[in-house]
Amino acid sequence: MIRKLENKKGDKLLSVYWFAILVIVAVGIVLMVNTFYGKDYDVRKDEATILAQKAADCIYPSGKLNPEAFSSQSGFREDFRDKFLDKCSMNFSIKDTLQRPPYYIEVGFFSEGNLDKQEFLISHGNKNWKGDCENSASDRTKLATCVSKEFYAKGDSDTYYLVKILSIVGKVEENTN
Amino acid sequence: MFVRNKKGEILVENIVFILLNVIYLSILILFLLKQGSGAVLLEDSYSKNIALLIDSARPGMVMELNLQELKDVSDKNAISFSDVVKISGNYVTIKLSSKGGTSYHFFNNINATAYPDKTNPGIYVFTFKKT
Repeated sequence: MIRKLENKKGDKLLSVYWFAILVIVAVGIVLMVNTFYGKDYDVRKDEATILAQKAADCIYPSGKLNPEAFSSQSGFREDFRDKFLDKCSMNFSIKDTLQRPPYYIEVGFFSEGNLDKQEFLISHGNKNWKGDCENSASDRTKLATCVSKEFYAKGDSDTYYLVKILSIVGKVEENTN
Repeated sequence: MFVRNKKGEILVENIVFILLNVIYLSILILFLLKQGSGAVLLEDSYSKNIALLIDSARPGMVMELNLQELKDVSDKNAISFSDVVKISGNYVTIKLSSKGGTSYHFFNNINATAYPDKTNPGIYVFTFKKT
């Protein structure tokens, strides 16, 4: 009889532990799921890469610098710089608001003979984001995302230029918690 | 008589125990499924992905996207599938519930239109023209 009672007590004790294990597992799963799904989906790096790629395709469309941007007689053209966004099918403005654009694009041309001297510069968008690229903070989630690309482009028969593209996407609120 | 009662007790206890475990596991699985298919999560991810697609598009392109996942949620929330994707003023908006939807800005200066394919349910057609 005593042994029977002891067994029953043991069973009850076991079921309490079992219940505690179930609760711990459930809480663990809920926490893990919330950590996974609670994180925002950050696409700014891909967006900045597409922006840089689009600028590169516009400047150097088919193995030769865009004739609207560069001609062998007059060199780099100012009107292309001024209308860069239109010419390259980009629209940075946010309709019906006074907000500054969440993008910045900068294209620098360096002569092959002297890579320290910038021959021509095109820049559009919100320049304030540029400071974020130089920020060395370890947590970059609250900073703009910067992507740099560079390639060599053939100017005319003899000249080659190093083209450096910097594209920046702000959109911090949309992509972070 | 005593032995029979004892056996019956054990059986009932086991059945209750198994039932409680099954209920517990079902609740956990339902919770996981619901988390993955939430309207807010889908609106956020699809608006961003479609904005990236539009950014990469060139005039003359036609894209067909399988948005069956969105259709399932919009049907559940009584939102017409033709109202799920809207493109206006360089914003793509995904609406899966009556709360307004989620928008994301794209930079490509292109005339993009989106409409559901009438012959293929769950498919959306995106066309791109020069502005």
